Amino acid sequence: MQTGSLLDSIPVGCPMHNASMGHRPFEHEGMYRFFAEVRPEAPVFYSPEIDYWVLTRREDVLSVIRDYDRFSAVIATQPVCPWPDDMMAFLKEQNFTNEAVQVACDRPRHTRIRDLAGGFLNMRRFQIYEPAIRKLVQGHISRMQVKETVDLVDALTYELPAQVVFLLLGEESFDPRKIKSWGDLRINLIWGRPSHEEQMDAARDLLDFWHYATDLVEQRKKYPRDDYPSFLLATRNGDDSVLTENEIKSLVFGLLLAGHETTTNAAGNILLELLRRPQAWKALVDDPTYIPNAVEEGLRYASSVVAWRRLAKEDVEIGGVQIGKGSKLLLSLGSANRDVSQFEDGETFDIARGNARSHIAFGNGIHHCIGAPLARLELRIVLEELTAAYPNMKLVEGEEIHFTATISFRGPDRLLVRPEG
Amino acid sequence: MTKLTFILPDGTERELEAKPGLSVMETAVQNNIEGIVAECGGSMSCATCHVFLDEASLERIGGPGETESDMLDFAATERRPTSRLSCQIKVGPEIEGALISIPERQY
Repeated sequence: MQTGSLLDSIPVGCPMHNASMGHRPFEHEGMYRFFAEVRPEAPVFYSPEIDYWVLTRREDVLSVIRDYDRFSAVIATQPVCPWPDDMMAFLKEQNFTNEAVQVACDRPRHTRIRDLAGGFLNMRRFQIYEPAIRKLVQGHISRMQVKETVDLVDALTYELPAQVVFLLLGEESFDPRKIKSWGDLRINLIWGRPSHEEQMDAARDLLDFWHYATDLVEQRKKYPRDDYPSFLLATRNGDDSVLTENEIKSLVFGLLLAGHETTTNAAGNILLELLRRPQAWKALVDDPTYIPNAVEEGLRYASSVVAWRRLAKEDVEIGGVQIGKGSKLLLSLGSANRDVSQFEDGETFDIARGNARSHIAFGNGIHHCIGAPLARLELRIVLEELTAAYPNMKLVEGEEIHFTATISFRGPDRLLVRPEG
Repeated sequence: MTKLTFILPDGTERELEAKPGLSVMETAVQNNIEGIVAECGGSMSCATCHVFLDEASLERIGGPGETESDMLDFAATERRPTSRLSCQIKVGPEIEGALISIPERQY
C-alpha cells in the first residue's frame, strides 16, 4: 500500500494533511462538522485509514459520478476491508456465485441489466404497491398505540422496508427480521471493519442469505407469480444472452439488501431531524402537503448513503489534485448535500427549502438509484400516517443517538419517542 | 452537425450545433442548458429530461414508445401531445432545425 509515501508528500500542518489525519470513515458522530470544516480548504484529501481519496464538494462528486469513461463503479460493493483467502475459498466451495449486477458494473453490461430490471422496477409498477404499503404502516402504528414510549426503529422503520421488498418478490411467509439481520451482517462485511472471526462467522450467514435468494428464484421457475423474479425469468425466456439465471439470482440478492437497508436508515434519519424540531413536525401535522418536500430535505440533510465509491481508470485531476490511475475514490454524498455552492445555509434543516430536491442522496447519472421512487413513496406514507396518528409525538429527552459504524450507511439504530407527547 | 434551438422556460433561446449520435439530453447537459436535469443519465427512470418538441419535428421522429409514454405520465410538468423524454431522442437530420421547449419544472 502506498500510504506512507502519499502522506509523506503532503506537508504536515497544511489543511490537506489535517483532513487526512482527522477523517474517521467508520464513525458518523461529528461527520458533518468535519466535512463543513474540510470542504472550503481541502475539498479533496487522502484518507490513509482506508486508502481512498475523499471528495467532499458537490461539483467534484457530480463530475466523477457522471464520468463513466474515466471512473469505474466495479469497486462499489467490494469489501472495504478485504476478505481473507480462507473465507473466499469457503464461499467458492459452497457455490456462492453472486456476481456484480447494476450498481457495481460499468457499461455495456450495466446498460443491458439495468434496462431489463427497469421493466419492473419503475414508477408505474411501484405505484401499484401504495395501498399495500399504507396498510403495512397502519398495522405497525396500531401496534404502537398503548405504549407510553416506543422505539420507532424497532416498531416501524426496521421491518417496513423489508416487508415492501417482500411485496416485490412475492414472498408471503418469510420473517422480515431474518432478512434484516442477514442484511446487517452483509453490510458490515462489505462496508464495516469486521475482525477475521467476524468475517468467518458472517460468511456462513452470507451463504444462507444467498441460498434464500437462489431458492426463491428456483421456486418462481416452477410457479411463476406477478413479481420481480418471475418478471426477470419471463424476460430472459431461457436466453442467456438476455439474462443468465445467475444474473437473475444476483439481482434478487441485490434487491434483498439495497431495497431496504437504505430506506430503514432514511426513515430513521428524517424522523430524527423532524422530531428534534417540534415546529417542523407541527408544520407537517398542520399541512401534510409539505411532506414531499420534507422528505427531500431529510434525504439531503441526513442522507442514508453518506459515501459511495469509484475507481480511477486513468490518471486524473480533481479539484486541482493529481490522482493516479487505479486510485480508489470515496465520494461523500453527505458532504456534497451540504455544499453551500448549491444549498444556501446548507447546515440548516428547512422543510420548505426551495431546491431540496436537487440533492444527490440517490446518486446521479446512469447508476441513480432505481428504487428512488419506491423509497420516496415509503417515506411519504410513513410521514403521512405518523403525523396523522400522533400529531403530538415527541422525542424522549436525553437519549443519545447511535449510528451504525460503516463507511457508507448512516441511520439511528434506535429512536425513542413518546407517541402522545 | 444538426442545428437545434432550446427554448428555456423564461423564453430565452439557445441555438446549438449538435453532434450526431448523442441524445438531445446529452447535448443539453454538455452545453449546460438550464432546465434539463436528467437525473438518471438517460436510463428512462426519472422523467426529468422532459421537453416539448415542435410539431413538425415530432411528426418526423414519431411519438414516444410505451415505456417512455409511461414515464411521461409522471413528468412534473403535465405532458402535452408534443412531449418527449429528451434522453430518447437521437440527434440526426430528422430533427434539423427543431425547437425544443423546456418545461417549467422537472420535479
